[in-house]
Order: sequence, then structure tokens, then C-alpha cells
Amino acid sequence: MTAAQGFPILRHRLANGLRIVLQPDSRLPLTAVNLWYHVGSADERPGRTGLAHLFEHMLFQGSLNVGTNDHFRHLQRVGGVANGSTWYDRTNYYETVPSEHLDLALWLESDRMGFLLPALDQHKLDTQRDVVMNERRQRVDNQPYGRPYERLFELLVPPGHPYRWPVIGTMDDIASATLEDVRAFFETWYVPNNAVLTLAGDFDPGAALASVERWFGELAPGPRPQRDSFALAPLDAAVAETVEDSVQLPRVYFAFRIPPFGDPEWFASALLANLLADGKSSPLYRDLVWERQLAQEAACYVYPTAQTGFFIAIATARPGVEPAALADALRGHLDRAARPLPAADHERALHRTLVELWEGLETADRRADQLSMYATLFDRPELAWDEPGRYTAVTAEAMAAVAAERLGADRQVTLTVLPRSAQR
Amino acid sequence: MSRVARSSPPPPGPRRPFRFPDFRRERLANGLELVVAAVGAVPLADAVLQLPAGADRNPLERPGLAALTASLIDEGTALRDGPTLSGTIERLGGSLATRADWNGAEVSVEVLARDLATALELAAEVARQPVFPPHELERLRRQALTELLRRRDQPAVLAEEALSSALYPGTPYGALILGDETTMAALSRADVVAFHEGFYRPSGASLVVAGDVEPDAVRTLAERFLGDWSASEAALPIEVRPATRAARQVVVVDRPEAAQTELRLAHPGVPRTHPDRTRLGVLNALLGGKFTSRLNLNLRERHGYTYGVSSRFVDRRGPGPFVVAAAVGNEVAGAATGEILLELDRLRQDAVESEELAETRDYLLGVFPFTLQTHSDLLGRLAELALWGLPDDHFDRALAAVAATTPDDLLTLARRHLDPDHATVVAVGPAATLEPQLSRHGEVRVVRI
Repeated sequence: MTAAQGFPILRHRLANGLRIVLQPDSRLPLTAVNLWYHVGSADERPGRTGLAHLFEHMLFQGSLNVGTNDHFRHLQRVGGVANGSTWYDRTNYYETVPSEHLDLALWLESDRMGFLLPALDQHKLDTQRDVVMNERRQRVDNQPYGRPYERLFELLVPPGHPYRWPVIGTMDDIASATLEDVRAFFETWYVPNNAVLTLAGDFDPGAALASVERWFGELAPGPRPQRDSFALAPLDAAVAETVEDSVQLPRVYFAFRIPPFGDPEWFASALLANLLADGKSSPLYRDLVWERQLAQEAACYVYPTAQTGFFIAIATARPGVEPAALADALRGHLDRAARPLPAADHERALHRTLVELWEGLETADRRADQLSMYATLFDRPELAWDEPGRYTAVTAEAMAAVAAERLGADRQVTLTVLPRSAQR
Repeated sequence: MSRVARSSPPPPGPRRPFRFPDFRRERLANGLELVVAAVGAVPLADAVLQLPAGADRNPLERPGLAALTASLIDEGTALRDGPTLSGTIERLGGSLATRADWNGAEVSVEVLARDLATALELAAEVARQPVFPPHELERLRRQALTELLRRRDQPAVLAEEALSSALYPGTPYGALILGDETTMAALSRADVVAFHEGFYRPSGASLVVAGDVEPDAVRTLAERFLGDWSASEAALPIEVRPATRAARQVVVVDRPEAAQTELRLAHPGVPRTHPDRTRLGVLNALLGGKFTSRLNLNLRERHGYTYGVSSRFVDRRGPGPFVVAAAVGNEVAGAATGEILLELDRLRQDAVESEELAETRDYLLGVFPFTLQTHSDLLGRLAELALWGLPDDHFDRALAAVAATTPDDLLTLARRHLDPDHATVVAVGPAATLEPQLSRHGEVRVVRI
């Protein structure tokens, strides 16, 4: 299967450095507009964590020509769907609109790229800080295993590396963010030459490019922001810790450092994760959940992070099962993976991955986001269509090599979460 | 400073037409409905076999039975054991899943379109010939009991449970889909076999397929795998009559160390087939069904009480609940409840401005194509037609009804279908903090877990 050869793309760069990707496709009368700013929580500093994400909220609070709640109001009025998200390496903003409203979306995005600061005020910041603190409670503090998961990354990532803190930031840092922080963040990172704008869907490329030029062309570039990036070598000794949380069942986390997203070893790791734990016929499910019934659930996945990748394995213990026994069983699967695994498992993992990739290409918004990602991280949007090939190229030996070199017991972070003593 | 006129939104270009995708709808001789849509953007196909075997058919003393039965049917058939079943479809890159919700049970498959025959063969086998191996029953019972244990970790599930028992005592809707520890422990293999025998039937069932498929070929496959399934009527679910309430009540589920409060305000709503249902969608969108809804602009954007608040009319065959839901700061739960009540009252007192109605109406009309982007999206829409027995042109009619909704309609609907004075408020969080704040909204009952 070679995906998406029917999806041609066009590239352009405005004089101010804004990179443009166009992917016309007229099956539905919709256009997805997707803007990646190359800034995320990895560009924060300790004491100011969560700023990139809090800033994302502020970008929905209006700009010079757009009232406080009017970004969503304008878009929803025409049947548009909009949101944004923040990740370690980037912040994205996106909307899908009926195609006749493309200019509306470009007007809104260009107004906040160029003219945000006049609309910022303390009251908006105070409200959004409260919203984000509630978001943090909802996603982390009031979630089972939420705080322990943050601890896992403190064990896995050394002090000084920006993947150590959570994207949403710590509660104290969110509470203490100032208007000055927000202004400085905008001026440093939200410049056209630090962004990629992708359009995917039903539009005329020539007319769309003229519109993009009209709305974004006059925005001034800034100094190209500099960022340090460093990959992490595997741990040289195992780390283990046990914590308590208000949960009913013990859970075991294994975490490892792997190469960054885009590396052939990253694709091998991702396919191995699917091989081990994706589906009811996967080895982890068959053994831990079905046969030995040590686990209520088990999962493996990788982080698509740009500086260095992570491989995580999780198993939640059935009542009465000792976490150590579960950890041994889970470890056994990683040990076995250091030699080539059965072809049937490899075939399942590859086919299921390819089906998932097809599903990902079906909507304009997902295609646009993939194109923005590859344009931002590698300056090559067309790599978005290469993913099926990247996974297909992974050999059984490559997966075994990843398991042997990256996922060994001596390179492992183990975090065991126990129900709080009072509740046992 | 700008060379471009930015002060007001640019006008739209010419409107591009949208038409609901073509589909074919027919019935096999045994009563099974077949709905097929050929959409070939990607080489995938999804199918769902919907069965009249949902939790609304649970005998009153056996909550959890529909869910346990649905979870068991793919754990062994007359022809294959569970691992062989999942291994067969997953090796093709596909998946097969079974589940029951309030309105039905379903077997759903997703595969490369070239493998549709295998997928439909397995789906039919799972629905028609499960053997319910005793060891699998015991394994899944333990798994369900463990999930029930874990609801203590999940404030949203605790809130749902408290609401269900408050709104629908003595009916199947009064329990969780999984029931509780006592009832789950008591279910027998004979119960499961009888439930399957009674409700996994072609009459009242439907097979819906969407993707890169050929309708005639799908029809042939449906006849081959499901055509000889003998017809007999499944018994109707018992009628659900919600509790009536003289005054608003407050239920606090105590989680002393919770970092946040899961807040709900709810009362019984209308059946899915109620004639007001489509226009209630407009009322609900304006109230709490979109980002710029009254509730979200108030609780989130004005007060910062929550990351997000929403409302909905939950669709069931009987009168499903109308629910407002938000996770709020512990210290502001009382104030947030007050604002929710205020917004419900406002809708019952004053007609909305026509501009606000237009925003909502145009959102619902404009966003419709967006909800049909993938073959799975389309499958979901077609499955609704089959499940609720809606006519082929239902979505066109619904969009027309949305377009014709007036401010007076909304006022009438709000007065008829929103009932804040008799609602149940559920708050899952620290009772010591919550009880004093919530007592002004109704009599408080504290539940300890």
C-alpha cells in the first residue's frame, strides 16, 4: 500500500518567511486551515512552565480587530470547527470551514499573528489562568495515576532537559504567570518566520495563495528564534521508584529513552509497541490479560517528540496480583523482543498501523496537521505521505535491535503506583 | 498600520453545495435491515451489526446482563475460540468489537475493503453462534467486577451512577450499564444464554456498511452470512417511567481528597423519537452544545469556574436524561450551580434574540458536512437511521427544521422541556466543602463510598 499519491501538494514561502503548504482536494466543500508555531513547552524555562499552553488560551481571547469571544463566534457562525493544542515541540491552531469562508479563517489567524498585543489585558489573563488551573485539575490532579505519570518523566528526563516538566505546567507556575511573560512569549515566538500555514481541502490554489498573501504578507518577520535541542542517550543504569495514589489497582510503568521522531529507530520502536500491545491478539493482551490474567489492561506506545523519543509500557494489576509479579511478566515480553518475534505478530502490527494511517488521511484537518508537522520539523511536508513506507521498511531485526539496545532492563525507569495505604 | 482592511470579517465567497451521500436501504426476507453507502476515498470499509439487545432490555433484577452478553459473544463461537477470532481479523489489519449501550448491542468491524467478506463472516458468526465458554464468562465477570471497583477512581462514573439511581429508580435506566458488584456477581451462564436467545434476532436488527464497497456485492454477502438467520420477534423493552420529584434535590458523593468537583444537573428528558427532538438540538446547542454556548461563555469565559461545561439531551428509546456537566473548582461548585440554574431560567423566561438564534442555527447547518468527512462518520449517521427507524430523508428534514426554528419555538420548548426547579444536582467531591455551598440549591443528601 502506498498511501496518498493522489494527494498532490504545493509549497510556497512568503517574503516574511511564513511557509505555506497547499493540498487541494475537492471531495467535500470544506477547507482545513492549520497553523503550526514552532514553540512548545520545551521552549519554557523552569519556574515558567505551562506558559506555552496558557499562551495558547490567550490566543483565543481576541486581537486588535476580533473581540474577546469572537474568534469562536465568527467561526461557529458559519459552521466552522476550531481549536488549538500545545505539545512539547509546537503549538497548533486550526479550523475547518465551509470553503467559501476561507478568507474569514485567514483574517482571524492573521489578526492574532500580527495584532494580538493591543487586545491583551490582565482580566483576560486572570480568567484564563483559572480556566487552565481547572484544566490541569481535570486532566491531571483529579485523574487516577495523573500525578504519578508526571513523576515518571522526572525519573526519565534529567534536570535541565525541557521534556522533564509536563506540557500543562505546574500549578504554581500557572498561577504566577504575568502579562509581561505573555507579551514576551508572543514577541519571541509568534513571528511569521517561525510558523507553517497549511490549507487542505476544496479551494483553488491560485486564489487561496493570493488570499494568504493578502492577509499574512504584510506581517513583519522577527529574529528567527533559537532553540537548543538535544537527544538523550539511554539511561546507563536502571531507576525504580514506588509512589502512592488514590487508586484501587496497582500499576507498573516502564519508560525508556529512544531516538527522536523521524529516525528509523523511532519507526521501529513505534511498530514494536503496536506489535506488543495493539489488539486482543497481541502478545501482551494474550498473555497478561487473557491467559495469566495478571493485568486488567496493558499498553505500549511511543512519544513522537522531536528532540528525543520515549517508549512507555504500562500494565495495571488485577486485584490480588503483586505488582512485582506483573512487572516481571511485562519485563519478560521486552526481553523476548530482543530477538525477532513471530512473523504473524509483525504482519498484524504492520497491517493495523497501515489501516490507522489510512484513517488519518481521510479528513482534511488531519492531513493538514500532518503536513504542518513535517514542514515544521523537517522542512519537507511531503514526508507526510512516506509514513506507510517508513513502517513497511521496518524489519524484524530492526525491532529486535531496538529492544536490545534501547529497552534493556538496565536502561529502564520503573515506576510502581500503589493504592494509598489508607485505602488498601 | 495595516494596509489591509481588517476591521470587520471578510464576506464569504460563493456557497458550495453539499448533498447527503447516496446510500441504499433495503430489508432481507428475515427482517434484517441493510444500509450500504459506497464512499471510496480510502480503501477501507466499516460495518456495524446493530441488535435489539441493549441494556434497556435488562430484566429489572439483572442489570449488567446486556453488557456481559455483548462482551462475551466474541470470546468463542461454534467454529472458533476467542483468540482465533481476534487473531484472524487483526492479522488483516482490521478489528472487531462488541458492546452494548442503552439502546442496543452491536458488533462492529473495520477492515481494508478487500477483506470485507471475512469481516462480515466473523461479525455474523459472533452474533449468531456464540457458545459462551464458562471460563470466559468467569474471566469477563472478574474483569467487569474490577471495572466496577475502579469507578471509585473515576468521579465522572460516580456522578453518572448517582444520577441514574436518582432519576430512574426501579427501571433499567436506574443502574450503570455494568450494574453493580452484587448483580454482576450473580449473573449466570443461563441468564446470558437466554438473553442472547431472546434478543440477538434479525428482526429489529440492522447491518450498516460504509466504505470502498460495491452495494450489490455487500447485499450478496449479507444474504450469505445473515440471510438464513431465522426470524422471530424480540420482546419489546419495558417502558421506562422516570421518578417524579416535588422539589430540586442535591446528592453529594463524598470524595474527601478530590482536587475538583464533578458537577451534574439533570432531569428526565424526551425519547429519541419525540417530535420536539430535532428542535431541542437547537435549544441545547445555544444553551450548552457548542463552545460559544451560554453556559460555556458564562462558567468558563466569564467566571473561570471550569475548563468546559456542556449540556445534552441523551438519546434513548425511553425518556433519556437531559444533563448539564462540568468539572469545577471545589470552592465554586455552589456558585457554578447557581449560574447553571440562572441560564436555564433565562431560557424559560425570555425569548432569545434573533441574532443569537441565527448564530446557533447557522452553526448547526454549516457544521453538518464536517460531521460526515469519513466513511466511519457516514456509517454512524446511517446507523442512526436504522436504529431509530427514521426515514431516508431524515437528515434533510432535520436540517430544514433547524433552519425554520424561531425564538418563540425555543421559548415554548424551554418551558416544556427544561425543568430546573425539579432537577437533581449531583456533586462528586469533598462533602465538607460542598455541602454548605449546595444546600441553598436543594435538600442535600450525602453519599459516602
